[in-house]
Amino acid sequence: MISAETHSPAAPAAVRPDSDSGPGRCVLLFMLGSGMLWLVLSAILALISSIQVHSPEFLADCAFLTHGRAQALAETAFVYGWIGNCGLALALWILCRLAGEPLRASKWAGTGAIFWNLGAAIGLAGIAFGGMTAIPMLELPRFVQPLLLASYAAVALAGVAAWTGRRREVMFASHWYAVGALFLFPWLFSVAQVMLLWFPVRGVLQAVVAGWFAQGLWTLWIAPLALAGAYYVVPRVAGMVLPAYDTAALGFWCLILLGGWTGGRHLIGGPAPAWIATVAIGAAVVLLFHYIVVFANLRPGFAGGATSLRFISFGVAAYVLGGLVDAITALRGVAVLTQFTHFDEAQRQFALHGAATMMLFGTLYFALPRIAGRSWASRGLVRGHFALYALGVLLLAVCLGTAGCIQGDALNDPKAAFADIAIMTRGWLLGATAAQILLLAADIFLAVNFFTTLASAPEGGDREGAP
Amino acid sequence: MRAPEEHDPRLDRAAFGDDQLVDAHEKALGPASDKHAQYKLGPLVLLFALSGFVLYSAMYVIHYSGHFSPQIFDENAVPSSSTAAVKADPIAQGKRLFNSAGACFTCHQPTGQGIPGTYPPLAGSEWVNGPDDRTIRILLDGLTGPVQVKGTAFPGAAPMPSFGAAGFNWSDEKIAAVLTYVRQEWGNKAPAVEAAKVAQVRQQVGDRKAWTQDELLQVK
Amino acid sequence: MKSGALLFLGVAAAFGLSFAGIVIGSNAQLGRQAPFYDDSEGASFPARLPGSAAAGQLAYRDLGCASCHTQQVRRAGFGSDVDRGWGDRQSVARDYIYQPYVQLGWSRTGPDLTNIAGRKPSAPDAGDLMRLLYGGQGGMPAYSFLFEDRKIVGQVSDDALKLTGRLEPPPGRQIVPTDRARELVDYLLSLNTTYDYPEAHPAPAVHPAAEAHPAPASGGEAKK
Repeated sequence: MISAETHSPAAPAAVRPDSDSGPGRCVLLFMLGSGMLWLVLSAILALISSIQVHSPEFLADCAFLTHGRAQALAETAFVYGWIGNCGLALALWILCRLAGEPLRASKWAGTGAIFWNLGAAIGLAGIAFGGMTAIPMLELPRFVQPLLLASYAAVALAGVAAWTGRRREVMFASHWYAVGALFLFPWLFSVAQVMLLWFPVRGVLQAVVAGWFAQGLWTLWIAPLALAGAYYVVPRVAGMVLPAYDTAALGFWCLILLGGWTGGRHLIGGPAPAWIATVAIGAAVVLLFHYIVVFANLRPGFAGGATSLRFISFGVAAYVLGGLVDAITALRGVAVLTQFTHFDEAQRQFALHGAATMMLFGTLYFALPRIAGRSWASRGLVRGHFALYALGVLLLAVCLGTAGCIQGDALNDPKAAFADIAIMTRGWLLGATAAQILLLAADIFLAVNFFTTLASAPEGGDREGAP
Repeated sequence: MRAPEEHDPRLDRAAFGDDQLVDAHEKALGPASDKHAQYKLGPLVLLFALSGFVLYSAMYVIHYSGHFSPQIFDENAVPSSSTAAVKADPIAQGKRLFNSAGACFTCHQPTGQGIPGTYPPLAGSEWVNGPDDRTIRILLDGLTGPVQVKGTAFPGAAPMPSFGAAGFNWSDEKIAAVLTYVRQEWGNKAPAVEAAKVAQVRQQVGDRKAWTQDELLQVK
Repeated sequence: MKSGALLFLGVAAAFGLSFAGIVIGSNAQLGRQAPFYDDSEGASFPARLPGSAAAGQLAYRDLGCASCHTQQVRRAGFGSDVDRGWGDRQSVARDYIYQPYVQLGWSRTGPDLTNIAGRKPSAPDAGDLMRLLYGGQGGMPAYSFLFEDRKIVGQVSDDALKLTGRLEPPPGRQIVPTDRARELVDYLLSLNTTYDYPEAHPAPAVHPAAEAHPAPASGGEAKK
């Protein structure tokens, strides 16, 4: 089925590639390609980590892949490898398209991308060999983090150049989100590095800064990168102006203003002063407004059957649902049940995979033909990717979520032993592992499709084609 | 708009170009035509929703803020009286003091029985159960010379040291606490001693050397 | 929004608020928190980690123990932490001021470790912890790479683990902990938060039943 459809003579009409054939294109394709590889690697590591939860003897003898390290490796590869490459590449591409200019400062961006990937690879090796920092979302060893910061600055330079050099004064929602993300990551990353690793602050403040960083990374870097893509692709493909666009700015500012305050939700009941958690809970509730605005704006995406719209609408639905669950589980009465359980993990995975990654996939499916000058190679792989990924995400969320609820209930019963909890949740955790297998398969489909697309011959870019 | 054929998943066609996208949205932000003098319900609902969230959130934050104090870890705690907890249990504090390094238990023993011939017992002692003026003075200035406790004579070769200004320099609260503890432990049943009383005695007595049994017996 | 500069400044200001509030604000409050000096004991609490324990914390950190174990006890009434005997009281900020890299943890696949050396009625000793690390238990994997399997030459080493059952090494061989295992166990044995700081026991909220002694009016009456 697949082979008959690749390179089929009934391929869609040619795509006119972006005006920036040449170095800019190469940089973007390099970043996207690396992102694919990191995605597959992170899926493999996540699978290993998932197996170790219900079967601890799996790879227990291997010091490099002991559970704590496997989990850190999977998360780092996903956040810094996949999102760092693909998210940034798509944000750069959108800024260039909206600016109407080819990618400027492409040498900077290219060098930055190379060193970013190098740094991430060294970092992963560092984690495996025992240098990790055990700070969620910041597990890379200390020595490699300044390299990543510098590489990021080089890549972001191209984005800033595209934004400041735009031909038209007027900005669009994708501009705000992309620029916000580009700018806020260095702030978050450098402060976290300095205050946690180079000049560590005293005691519990480390946990406060770590929580601020981890939550900030999601709300102020990953989510905006995904939303920049969603806001760009939905109106372009659906062919209509976003319905609630006048409130889009309000939704944006709501996110930027409140996103940084929500870090304290990880410290509910913990050894930090109560006000930190209280303020985080308050912010999480008001942040619901942002989710409502995003939904109101991006609803046209739900109507279309186009590939990118399917992915993006799944992502938006997951994003909004995830935001609602975030706000509910931030309340102390609920947090006492879900804290420290698999449910927390389920929320995280649902947000990263179901929301952000799906939106990035949608943007990717729209963007690649225009960057590479040819349409995607295989119909079947596209459909397979969507089906497997969507199913995998839903299965993961349901299984981990249920396991988390069972675990939370049992943890709050002083008589329940940990061995019993492990037995009670084992079935659901096996389901979660099955979901990870589905996600890995979906990622492989995407990677194969991507590289096959690049390898296939371009379809005569001079003919009049899709804009 | 498009012919109703199945979308080819390998390529999504765009309906807008980039410039059109930005322009169309910019126009959408402009003043809407007021032909029918209608207003849209949507923005009003959103405004109400935002206000509702902000109101709930503000009330929550104010109620559970713990006055933004770094000492409050329990959001239900009452900050103004948090210092009261420290003085909550003089008996527990007294017990800790009694058993702290180099203090009472080394001579009088944790059981309050003392060591026959050397250190008098505290359990059932008429000195401990008697007027607190005497016991306060013993602690403040020490006791020297022979003493009779529960019918047994103690020659006083090892005098009681002072826990007041001349010796270990314990505060009024500490002396009151340890006395309160001793006076209700091991079967003793004497009322508690207040820190204010200790302060009063301290001031009344002033500086002096250790008491003897005869001097103490004259104190009522 | 038309002006790029305004967007940039706006984002900086909006984010700067949360940065100032959470990071700088909490740092101002707790950045220089001092240990608590207890007159009667003549010592300050908490104590610094001894050298071996500090090295052990690095081992704890790089093995990623925090991915399954937390080091924070929640107050009595909020979860079952105190009922399970993980601690006598809620963990407070002062418990962590001398921990070089605080490992609060985020998941409880395994029990909390805040006060593992102070557990009542009996805290585990070095031998128990070594055996646990070597053999694993329930959901915890075996960390056999922290140990060496050595031939017995002459006498059995003092440090050799006393193992029984399926874990017992074949005759003529002994299992000896490596330095990392020793340091890790030293660290675990230094985790003791039994001292009662004043801020750990706040006065409870005013109950309606305590009307006979009205406390000064404060926000304690309306519970959630």
